[in-house]
Amino acid sequence: MRRLPVYFLLDTSGSMNGEPIQALNNAMSGMINSLRSDAQASETLWISIITFDRVINEISPLTELPLFQLPEIICPPSGPTNTGKALELLYDKVSKEVKKGSPTQKGDWRPLLFIFTDGKPSDIQLYTEMIPKIKSLNFGSIVGCAAGALADNSKLKELADTVVHLDTADSSTLKQFFKWVSDTIEQGNKSMGTVDTVSLPSPPSEVHLVI
Amino acid sequence: MQDVKTYIQSLFTAKGIVVSSNKSSLFEEFIVQQDSIDAVQRIIENQNSLMDKWKIKNRIADILSQQIVIPNGTIGKPYLGHINFEKQNLTDLIFEQFEGLEELGLSFNKTNDCIEGIPNLSGDLKFTLLFKINGEEENEPLNRKVLQLVINPDPKSLWKDIPSDKTDKFWKEDDVSISDKIGEKNIVISSKRGRSHKNVGSFRDDDFAFKHFAKSGWSIVAVSDGAGSYSLSRVGSQIACNAVIDFFENHADAEKSKEFEDKIISYNETSDQSILKEIEVLAKQNLYKATVFVHNKIKADAEETFKTSPELFNNPKAKSHLDYYHATFIFALFKKYDFGYVILTFGVGDCPIAVMNLEQTETTLLNWLDVGEFGGGTRFITQSDIFHSTEHPMATRFNFKIVPDFSYLFLMTDGIYDPKFVVEANLEKSEKWNEFMEDLKGKNEDNTVVEFNPENTQIAEQLSKWMDFWSQGNHDDRTLAIVY
Repeated sequence: MRRLPVYFLLDTSGSMNGEPIQALNNAMSGMINSLRSDAQASETLWISIITFDRVINEISPLTELPLFQLPEIICPPSGPTNTGKALELLYDKVSKEVKKGSPTQKGDWRPLLFIFTDGKPSDIQLYTEMIPKIKSLNFGSIVGCAAGALADNSKLKELADTVVHLDTADSSTLKQFFKWVSDTIEQGNKSMGTVDTVSLPSPPSEVHLVI
Repeated sequence: MQDVKTYIQSLFTAKGIVVSSNKSSLFEEFIVQQDSIDAVQRIIENQNSLMDKWKIKNRIADILSQQIVIPNGTIGKPYLGHINFEKQNLTDLIFEQFEGLEELGLSFNKTNDCIEGIPNLSGDLKFTLLFKINGEEENEPLNRKVLQLVINPDPKSLWKDIPSDKTDKFWKEDDVSISDKIGEKNIVISSKRGRSHKNVGSFRDDDFAFKHFAKSGWSIVAVSDGAGSYSLSRVGSQIACNAVIDFFENHADAEKSKEFEDKIISYNETSDQSILKEIEVLAKQNLYKATVFVHNKIKADAEETFKTSPELFNNPKAKSHLDYYHATFIFALFKKYDFGYVILTFGVGDCPIAVMNLEQTETTLLNWLDVGEFGGGTRFITQSDIFHSTEHPMATRFNFKIVPDFSYLFLMTDGIYDPKFVVEANLEKSEKWNEFMEDLKGKNEDNTVVEFNPENTQIAEQLSKWMDFWSQGNHDDRTLAIVY
């Protein structure tokens, strides 16, 4: 059976502490619930969550949706945003976990990556180095989400093929965003050419597409 | 009495009471008095009790906020969820009972610490654990902790069946099944809309066509699968199948065709292998023309449609109007001669064509598949690159084969191949094809039988029913054509 592997990279740096991290937890949980009742997702979706602040944590390894349990996402009171280091772990995980098609192995659907941040990478050199490597993994789509006034769209734009900006990281905005994420995931398993990216549904009004 | 002395001394120091040296004997007397000793003891006891109570409160609060992991379940399926109290550091928890499990169809088995039963509800369900911890007073009320249990819905129940929009300009029938004679053989084909399309009310992208040309004795079967991510691919697949028949019926080079037939006759008389080689070359040249014809036909239609309905061409990913029509495409031509059957095939995309010998001992795959690294990645008849690719030369897409006779000739889309053969390597294995035939003849979960008998007038309905097999994760359109 073909799996649709979806990776979430979530910023848990100090600035997320307080209401934003609460909102993120609620929104993720709402998204998982809505995916559970989606017919396609319930059969094919596999989810992995990696958080990044000073340290990088794979808080949930790639797990099929029916068995998936969302752990509480926590963040330290302060600390840097090691996005580059997170990409390093992601590269390693995707290389090992995502199955490529061969005469004797069924290939997965092209994986999707969602990266959520409210700041900019602290380890900018590593971040820049990792971008071509991440792109070589042939994701069906890389969606970057910059939340709040301090989030840096331009850095995300270098990595992601779609970047959206949220004005605030409050509960209702994040909920809207993750609703859109689940719509996007539902688009993720269709036949297409060998080089196309997944077409994304149009985002809700709270989510500004960065061009 | 040393600790009484120490206690009172540190109490006095903390409170700033100084015992002057001339009163030290008075102090010594004071600390050995029984009521002083009793008072100190009471204070220490009260302090210990305060600390113990706090420890218990603190521990209970920790347990209440701790995430207790309970495995997910699925509605209607036997559930067994072990709660590992040791691993979750809950050995000081004195279990009392669960509240709210029965309503979910579950119960707790104390002997193995398992929640068991058959869940009758799905969703993010909650139930309550009533507990005490070591050291709590007998008469204290029980602590209540709400636990979460995820019960998944039955995947089968989530799929909707929304009819496709019949008023759409390019509407296509959801399910088509048909049987007929084709030359001296029989054919049965079923093409059905996949779950993923039913779920959202979209159209079947697969298509097929077949024809026996009585005049020439040739028969043709074509199957095509429109790419799910392109909006007019169902039209592309339809045009492809019809165009290839149109080509051989009306546009094939009559002279070349005659040359071909003449060479076959002389091969039949002489069995000269060099003539056979020439036949093969001629055949492939003719097939090549057919594929160019099909490609151009779709292209012309795309341009025409763009003129009348430009609003349909709104996909930023598409590089040309032809992209909207992306479809994989396979076809097989066959004709009976004195020496056996000549079978000619073409394939682009991930749909297999295979022929099983008369003895049903050997099945040969007649084309190679364009299978990408990732699911869905394939190639289409609508891509002009395929005609001049050096990596995958067009010539290798054609096949020429002579067989004495055959029992079955199969053409199918990936909607059948994915669930039934899973990987390409299995298409090369005769035993897998025999299993596939057994499956068709009734060796399947639903005991659905397709009876391959020329007298069987119900075969199309039978195949249509068989096509409804359940396979998790495989929700594409399904098309299967069998010549027998």
